[in-house]
Amino acid sequence: MTVQQTNIPSEIESDDDFRARLRTFFTDHHPGKPPRDPKERLAHQKAWNATMFDAGFSGPSWPKEFGGMELSFAHQVIYQEELARARVPGPMGTGLGIAAPTIIRYGTQAQKEEFLAPMLRGDKIWCQGYSEPGAGSDLPSLRTTARREGDEYVVNGQKVWTTQATNADVLFTLVRTGTQESRQKGITYLLIDAHAPGVEVRPLRDITGGAGFAEVFFDDVHVPVSHRIGEENEGWPLVRTSLGHERAAGAMNQAAVYRRVLDELTALARERGRASEPLIRDQLADFEIRVRIMRYNAARIISDILTKGEPGAASSVSRMLITAFEQDLHEFAIGLLGPAGLLTKDSPHAVQRARWLTGFLRTRASTIGAGTSEIQRNTVAEQVLKLPHDPGMPPR
Amino acid sequence: MSFSFTAEQEELRQLVRRFCEEKSSSEHVRRLMDSDDNRDDKIWSQMADQLGLQGLSIPEAYGGSGFGPVELGIVLEEMGRTLLVAPYFSTVAIAGQTLALSDDEAAKQRWLPGIADGSLTATLAIAEESGSWELDSVETTAAQAGDEWSLTGTKMYVLDGATADLLLVVARAGDELGLFAVDGAAAGVTRSKLDSVDLTRDLGRVELDGVSAVRIGSGDATEMLVKATDLILAAFAAEQIGGAAKCLEMAVDYAKIREQFGRPIGSFQAIKHKCADMLLEVESGKSASYYASSVVAAGDHESSIAAALAKAYCSTAFTHAAKENIQIHGGIGFTWEHDAHLYLKRAKSSELLFGSPARHRERLADLVGI
Ligand SMILES: Cc1cc2nc3c(=O)[nH]c(=O)nc-3n(C[C@H](O)[C@H](O)[C@H](O)COP(=O)(O)OP(=O)(O)OC[C@H]3O[C@@H](n4cnc5c(N)ncnc54)[C@H](O)[C@@H]3O)c2cc1C
Repeated sequence: MTVQQTNIPSEIESDDDFRARLRTFFTDHHPGKPPRDPKERLAHQKAWNATMFDAGFSGPSWPKEFGGMELSFAHQVIYQEELARARVPGPMGTGLGIAAPTIIRYGTQAQKEEFLAPMLRGDKIWCQGYSEPGAGSDLPSLRTTARREGDEYVVNGQKVWTTQATNADVLFTLVRTGTQESRQKGITYLLIDAHAPGVEVRPLRDITGGAGFAEVFFDDVHVPVSHRIGEENEGWPLVRTSLGHERAAGAMNQAAVYRRVLDELTALARERGRASEPLIRDQLADFEIRVRIMRYNAARIISDILTKGEPGAASSVSRMLITAFEQDLHEFAIGLLGPAGLLTKDSPHAVQRARWLTGFLRTRASTIGAGTSEIQRNTVAEQVLKLPHDPGMPPR
Repeated sequence: MSFSFTAEQEELRQLVRRFCEEKSSSEHVRRLMDSDDNRDDKIWSQMADQLGLQGLSIPEAYGGSGFGPVELGIVLEEMGRTLLVAPYFSTVAIAGQTLALSDDEAAKQRWLPGIADGSLTATLAIAEESGSWELDSVETTAAQAGDEWSLTGTKMYVLDGATADLLLVVARAGDELGLFAVDGAAAGVTRSKLDSVDLTRDLGRVELDGVSAVRIGSGDATEMLVKATDLILAAFAAEQIGGAAKCLEMAVDYAKIREQFGRPIGSFQAIKHKCADMLLEVESGKSASYYASSVVAAGDHESSIAAALAKAYCSTAFTHAAKENIQIHGGIGFTWEHDAHLYLKRAKSSELLFGSPARHRERLADLVGI
């Protein structure tokens, strides 16, 4: 699939012109509020992804060849700012954040052509099949196997907590091609067609009552070798590929989103006549400080990238700051509402469709998914502060 | 708004860092802390003559080099790292900035050049027995007799108040709040050093009994003092985050070399997590401090928000880092010989001076309309 884009800013387009063009586009094509029903919601998001893609407003850091905008970092920041301002979501999906950068970096030309644009346009939903029942934080102990048979792999095993698996078209997975003892040296990165025979997806109900993730079972699933990223047994180093600078630019967007959430919470406290209580005010002021620091941190990361080419230490602490913030914020909100905060979204008496309760439950995952906060702190301690490696842990 | 520093500013940082590391070693700090002096005269004049640090943020017209709060923040962050014992904060960050803000040309001509060349030390006295820096709690009175003013009242917790050559005193002049200059050695001034926990910083008590004073500026000084307070708070936050960063470094360095159970303690997760959390606060505090430094010069609503935020956050971060630093050092961290306690004491005093974090959160809530 070759992609022709017309909306990509040319080298000479000024920041203001680019900003204005984004602003017009987001205003004219605003997708509106996402529907509540999960199926309709997905369709809504897919349609919005397609609209953005077709207009050439997708994939800020991606190569133009695959439908991206190939923006300079400064333009990526503007893009994120305008997304936040327009209150529209960026192109979404686990694949975009995690699988795409891996394919862009390590994939063959054929793989890039086959997978990237449809992922960005939202035509194909991707999900991440890394974790297994016995392999969470200790991912290198995973047991799902792939046995080579000619130009195919035959996959057997089980994945778990796979977000979006029920809607997925493609699973990007880690499978064992070496011995169990070889640990991370015997792991291969495979893209598996979620509709292939032998793939079974069983929705898992989560803490919110919804089914955001699922178990995935592989029973003699045949996968073409051409859907392997990188070399056999050498999938592990690919896991850490990230969007780097695009993620840093996204930090601005996140700060803007939480700014809004906090404003809504403050308004709620005021509405309920609680905002003048000293303890409530102290808490709100503390959140105010943290949400502003989120923006300052983002601005500092961006500024460092622009002047020094590197994001600096602030980037490594952003996630810790945000995860603790969103957990504290939602828990505080329920407390503010008192027993009314306990009503679920099915209750006609629920305040604001029970968003704070749902948030309180949902954000339990913030310190678990995508690496627990314990693992994250270990990593920061070792990689940023250079503290000695824990001899009980496998080498990096 | 840039959060990064220019090459020139980075150079300034390196210069000041080297100077402080050399001149404010643990040995120096301890020598001054045990003496009655709050500075080493030789170092003080080197700071002025060789580095021009006292004049850094003083306008060129008055003998300074005319830099702003960003450069001052850099210098203070570095001084905070080594607990430099000197009346720099009081003289330059407090009195110098306050004077420079006033519209009183004569006062500026008279005192700023002395501050800039290091020949004059100065401070600002706001708080009284109540321990509050709120302007409306000031009770010291100023009475006018012809062209002369005379002040009566007692000021507390005045940084370097017992030694400063020049005291800037906030007092009530009828319905107005005024700023007055008092010669530290004037008749009717009785001052003493307060025995307080932080041995690296002098706090003074200043009794004023009908002391003759010069009024600085005309009309009510409240607005000017609010602006000055923002500048002072931003500078203070910079000093504190420098101290916090140093505590983190001390803890990390020690965790790499101290071995227990046959391995460095830094390989234990409990220690790693403490350090990672400190890093979170230090980096966030730097962002808050750099932001505050870059906006306070404007003197608008945003500067008050940024300054309150930075003071609240950096104070908390510093105290936390200082406590964790002691914990990570174990028994050694509790000994007098180790510097960890000096940082804890500096942190605690900085936390409570110029308004506690809770007080600044309250102000912030007011300012942002919570
Ligand atoms: C909402 C949600 C969505 C998810 N989506 C996906 C997905 O799409 N794809 C996917 O592959 N996975 C997904 N996961 C799984 C997630 O990556 C794992 O849950 C996570 O890596 C932790 O693994 P675990 O659950 O097995 O916990 P464990 O690893 O068993 O950890 C349990 C506890 O022990 C602690 N612990 C473990 N090892 C250490 C250590 N060395 N030091 C200190 N503490 C340790 C952990 O921090 C945690 O507190 C999702 C999880 C959630 C909650």
